Amino acid sequence: MTTNLYTQADWGAVTPLFVVGITALVVLLADLFAKRHSNRYVSLLLGVLGLGAAAVICAQSYGQDYAAFGGGFVLGGFTVVFEEIILLAAGFSLALYGAIGSEDRMAGVVALMLWGTSGAMLMAGAANLMTIFLGLELLSLALYCLCGMAARPAAREAALKYLILSSAASGFMLYGMALLFGASGSVTLSALTAASVAASPFFWMGCGLFLVGLAFKLSLVPFHVWAPDVYEGAPLPVTAFMSVVTKAGALAVFARFTYAALPSGAAAHLLLPMWIVAGASMLVGNLGMLAQTDIKRLLAYSGIAQIGYIVAALAGGTSQGLRYAIYYLAAYTFMNLGAFAVVALCSTDKEEGSHVAALHGLAYRRPALAAAMTVFLLALAGFPPTAGFLGKVFILATNVGSGYAWLAALLIIGTAISLYAYFKVIRAMYDRAPSHRVVDVRPVAPLAWLSLAICLAGVIAMTFYPLTPSNVLPLVK
Amino acid sequence: MTILLIVLPIVAGSLLFLVPPGDKVLSKVVGCAVAGVTFFEAIFARGGGDFTVRWLSRPFTAAFHFNTDGISFWIVLLLALCTFCAVLACNVPRTRNFIALLLLLEGAMMGVFTAKDLLAFALFWDLMLLPVFFALAGWGERRDTAWRYLIYNFAGGLALLLATAAFGMAYGSTDVMGQAAHPLAGAWAPWIFAGFAFAFLVKTPVWPLHTWMPATYADTPSPMVAVVSAVQSKAGLYGFIAIALPFASASMHNASVFFIVLGSISLLYGAFAALAQTDAKRIVAYSSLSHLGLILIAIFSFNAIALQGALVYIIAHGLFSAALFLVIGYVEEREESRSLARLGGLGQANPRLAGAFTIAALAALGLPGLAGFAGEIVILTGVVQAGNIWAALVALAAIIVAAAYMLRLLQGTINGPEIADLPVRRDLTLLEGLAMAPLLAALVAIGVNPHLLTSALAMVTK
Repeated sequence: MTTNLYTQADWGAVTPLFVVGITALVVLLADLFAKRHSNRYVSLLLGVLGLGAAAVICAQSYGQDYAAFGGGFVLGGFTVVFEEIILLAAGFSLALYGAIGSEDRMAGVVALMLWGTSGAMLMAGAANLMTIFLGLELLSLALYCLCGMAARPAAREAALKYLILSSAASGFMLYGMALLFGASGSVTLSALTAASVAASPFFWMGCGLFLVGLAFKLSLVPFHVWAPDVYEGAPLPVTAFMSVVTKAGALAVFARFTYAALPSGAAAHLLLPMWIVAGASMLVGNLGMLAQTDIKRLLAYSGIAQIGYIVAALAGGTSQGLRYAIYYLAAYTFMNLGAFAVVALCSTDKEEGSHVAALHGLAYRRPALAAAMTVFLLALAGFPPTAGFLGKVFILATNVGSGYAWLAALLIIGTAISLYAYFKVIRAMYDRAPSHRVVDVRPVAPLAWLSLAICLAGVIAMTFYPLTPSNVLPLVK
Repeated sequence: MTILLIVLPIVAGSLLFLVPPGDKVLSKVVGCAVAGVTFFEAIFARGGGDFTVRWLSRPFTAAFHFNTDGISFWIVLLLALCTFCAVLACNVPRTRNFIALLLLLEGAMMGVFTAKDLLAFALFWDLMLLPVFFALAGWGERRDTAWRYLIYNFAGGLALLLATAAFGMAYGSTDVMGQAAHPLAGAWAPWIFAGFAFAFLVKTPVWPLHTWMPATYADTPSPMVAVVSAVQSKAGLYGFIAIALPFASASMHNASVFFIVLGSISLLYGAFAALAQTDAKRIVAYSSLSHLGLILIAIFSFNAIALQGALVYIIAHGLFSAALFLVIGYVEEREESRSLARLGGLGQANPRLAGAFTIAALAALGLPGLAGFAGEIVILTGVVQAGNIWAALVALAAIIVAAAYMLRLLQGTINGPEIADLPVRRDLTLLEGLAMAPLLAALVAIGVNPHLLTSALAMVTK
């Protein structure tokens, strides 16, 4: 045995994470030396460059299959795609913060977002209980601070709420992990697949607690109640970040757990509650949307339903289902962040234009923004020709094909309910009646516009070129 | 070639939003030019120009596959003609936006009627809701009509989507229409058919799923409702003929009594409801419900003659309902009312308006020599031949009521005593007349020589 426990390949697998994490340090250092009026641009530029570099390095490892750190971090098509989605979402969120965030907090927020991003990326590849928890806590700690990063009481309330509830969920998860370790005697997920493990009562209890914790992070019903409040209170770019990055990280863990860490006989019994929870999320999320007048709350409920659709895609346990979940996650990233970008571009330094009334008559003030928002909302509602439409077709097909037709039926019902909520916003944008409360559209913020354009192109292009990664399995080694 | 029918109106409609909003004339000239070019394309598109681009290979194969063969060609031609006439007749506030929506609607519906792939069909099916929703939201009189239209039709669209996905999984491909096909088998087949049928029944609409329709027809500005009632309402019937008949004929046979009963109820309910309305547009809306019920009966009679009659009547109904809605639009523009109680005696001062209105209404009540009659008589022959005597009797009763409500409509607007305090009277302008002329000419031509259509359709029904 050599003193050097890990090889260069091990470190190579996590290079993108380190690039992102170190960029955060560089941002903080640079902020010390940057001139007062230029620190906004310095932080933002460094952050985006770091994310871009990580994305390039990450993309080069696509096609590799390697279990780094003794199986603690598995590099493969699945991990790379999730990391890319997370990096993309982080980049968009940074762009939004650059457009509307306050100057004073710029460097801190950029650094925290980058640390959170590296945590989520670790979750994307984590294949043992330790790395999963490490990634999750890195992400969560960053988010606790980020949620409070605005000079509003609501932001502090959101931060505290998230801290308390999320910590409780982490506690559940950690306890579950301890029980799973007790059952299998190992922290690796692959050790759980042994047939003898399923006989242990610790295994069942551990799985239950672990999944409860995950369901909280995914904001699935009935662990969703925090989402609307926290989304509403947090600064808008942070909300955008949470709505995609947290969910992508937790979804990666969930997929790896369900696909690779369960004894073959146990999966069907164990996961049925999760599919029921996914179905309930579709209904509750979409019903909850109907009454909302704040876009951030509306998108919070929308996200609850959308994550329900994505989790439902995994119900069959097929590699097809996993690919469609990834497709829908990518589509969700574009349509959700696109919608957030529009709201950000309707905001001022003083006030976030996240009330539906702020979008009233937008089509006559800023037709391009209104048109883009229409496309994003149509995509979220599943209207063609958008990725949201095709993603729903994929999930319906995989559910019908794998014997979960009831999930497909719930998806249809949920989508039908959601229609009114999305179109309420669309209709407000095209309403001619004068509105009482209109936030002036702030001057063009180039990066936010760029991310808006990328989201728009992504939402449309994915309909006609539905690419899904083919080498997603196996998820553990 | 076929793909141009879809792309040209959609691209032109989107670009039209770049025209200055106040420039009515330019909007109308561009709109007419695009609709006219599309119409000529449609004429020459027949049978040629199969367009296929691979779309999905997993979980089932799908393609952007479009063609104008068989019945598609005639409906596409009807759609192109109606859109052209509607754009020409269009005189609503915010003209530019309205014409743009008309063109977008045309493009989306072209997609529905030329798609040979079920998924592409479903895509355009949902897409064609949007222009009508925006028209209702922007120009409608009551706020809830747009919601009702959207929610009903989107629910239908979702059922279609689920059925399409299930079809694809069961069949392995959705690129199947217009090909020699083996019918769908297995335990899921009736459910897949049920999904399709729900979408088609909502869209047609058929009692009891029709409640969105009278309000929508009354609230949508006349040029658009002319296109919607003429062509969009045919999408469901087209779906039964082009999708359900080849792939789910067993399920259709099993459920035929159910559908014939629904059709008969629509037929009678629509006719009597039309008799009770005072809003001219609602009269025509309920008459549509009645007429489309007849076509549904024809399709579910599984008889070659009845089916041929259905195809003729689909075209005929498209022509006369478009003409009726356009002419009611003219009346409304002049007199600021559509109420039979408020109107009357328009014919004396406006002979051209009266002539156009009368021809359209007579075609709708099935006067021999006009297209409506040709369709009705062929359908009734076929239905009797298929042994559905009672359905034929119901249809006959409804046709008698049709004469009553159509004559009542004429009586309440064109004929009857002149009403003194109506606003300025002005006969049809040249442009308005030009917009009506092709529809009326086609009604007469098909009525005098139904062979025009039937010979062309005979090969479809073989």
